[in-house]
Amino acid sequence: MTVTSVSAAATIATDQAVLVRGLRRSFGSREVLRGIDLEIRREEFVALLGRSGSGKSTILRALAGLDKGATGEVFVPRQRSVVYQDPRLLPWARVLSNVVLGLEGEDATSRGRLALDEVGLRAHEDDWPKTLSGGEAQRVSIARALVREPDLLLLDEPFGALDALTRIRMHKLVVRLHKRHHPAVLFVTHDVDEAILLADRVLVLTDGRLSLDLPVQIDGPRLRSDPAFAELRARLLAELGVDELSEGAGPGRGHLHFANPIDVPDSEQEIVT
Amino acid sequence: MTLSEVLGPPVQRGQVIADLAPDRSPSAAPRLIQLPTAEVDAPRRRLQSLRAGPQRLLGVALLITVWEIASLAGWIRPQDLAAPTSVVSMGAHLLANGTLETALWASLQRVFWGLAVGVPLGAVLAVVAGLSRTGENLIDGNVQMLRFVPIIGLSSLFVLWLGVGETAKISMVAMGVMFPIYINTYAAIRSIDPRYEELADVVGLGRWGRVRRIVLPAALPGFLVGLRMAMAVAWLLLVFAEQINASSGLGYLIVQAQTYFQSNVIVVCLACYAILGLLTDVLVRTLERLFLRWQPGR
Repeated sequence: MTVTSVSAAATIATDQAVLVRGLRRSFGSREVLRGIDLEIRREEFVALLGRSGSGKSTILRALAGLDKGATGEVFVPRQRSVVYQDPRLLPWARVLSNVVLGLEGEDATSRGRLALDEVGLRAHEDDWPKTLSGGEAQRVSIARALVREPDLLLLDEPFGALDALTRIRMHKLVVRLHKRHHPAVLFVTHDVDEAILLADRVLVLTDGRLSLDLPVQIDGPRLRSDPAFAELRARLLAELGVDELSEGAGPGRGHLHFANPIDVPDSEQEIVT
Repeated sequence: MTLSEVLGPPVQRGQVIADLAPDRSPSAAPRLIQLPTAEVDAPRRRLQSLRAGPQRLLGVALLITVWEIASLAGWIRPQDLAAPTSVVSMGAHLLANGTLETALWASLQRVFWGLAVGVPLGAVLAVVAGLSRTGENLIDGNVQMLRFVPIIGLSSLFVLWLGVGETAKISMVAMGVMFPIYINTYAAIRSIDPRYEELADVVGLGRWGRVRRIVLPAALPGFLVGLRMAMAVAWLLLVFAEQINASSGLGYLIVQAQTYFQSNVIVVCLACYAILGLLTDVLVRTLERLFLRWQPGR
């Protein structure tokens, strides 16, 4: 596989952040990706849905440049950051050191402090990672991604291990940070509602191919009570092979759902709209 | 008799097996017990922690008293084991005439130089073997093989090569110290979470950055475990070496005392080892507190 910087490829349109052609990946005899074509425009927020084991993370790892075993063409920006499901902080380094890990230059520390400020953890810069809560640790890892000023931000189920209330706060934080820094985002998740709440466009990965590519067209705040929201959710769930009515994936059944999470009051952060 | 006759009729799902749970009738209210919470448990715990110190001292005092009584009563002959009072007065005497001080100083210097050579050597070998496949192939096999050779058995070779001087004793200590340091540090490096390796790729850490920010800090807990073991090994080997060929040091003092049936001198030297052991433990604990502050519970 060739991961090439966008600047090196003259043929690619200037508003593109990601261009993938014919990406294939096998593990042993199992072909997980069977020819993925994917384009992400600059500043676009794209969610990638799929069942567990469908290969979502394999695509993300290929875009991160971490997969040396895939074939096909992949063009991505030079500045990329990844946020994993686990915060992956070095336990022996204080919070600020974790944020600026691998950064060079005299202003690294001050940039790190600014990034911590943005995720509301400036006061914790001298803490050890193991003293943080799960949500705090994940915010540190978001700060670590942001401080690199990425043109492409890769989010690999970043809220999967968080509780429902912390998730809502994280959604707001991510929306706010995307509006301020506007990187292109590939957001891998298995949570349909989360995808609709955050993304401009939702992709579904089925059997190694991108089987659905839908823009999220909901005017105004995205509320789960909005009929357009419900319709989109039903379509995506159907594509994922889940019958919403019979299997109980809807609000109030099985999951802790909030009627309109974006409107839950939050003393710490405000969404800049 | 068939199997079903032995086992009785098969139990149906949801059926209540009365014999197994006789007092689980729905009307019987469960008895409540009070769980120990902070205020319930505090007085008892405070008492326990107050007692702990004196009780420990009492245990030691009891042992020494029994020992003294047994000596006074003549149950223990002085040439076998001197009475505690005799040990204390001999210790004071040896300190006063400088014998103990000289012996201690000679031994401490040897241990120091043995550690100063062996610890860095073990650590460097572990890092090289832990970081590169070539290093591992070249180093690890040798070390794993040599660690099963008893160091004490090597003492004759050391004497052949290096004579009976300081170098032979220091080399033996250094050699013995190297193994626990190497083995623990190498194991710690090998068990570094591979996800950190990927993180290093993502944030663009260079080779030296990886060593400094990930490998060395991750290896430190293992290294300190190795250091604790190395300190014990160092004293052990030193006393052995000093008993074979030396004209100074604690081991030499013990051999001399043995010749003259001075069991009180032997006990004084053994007490010195015990105290030195405690001190080295305190030293390593301090190092751990200093360097492993990031671990919860420190």
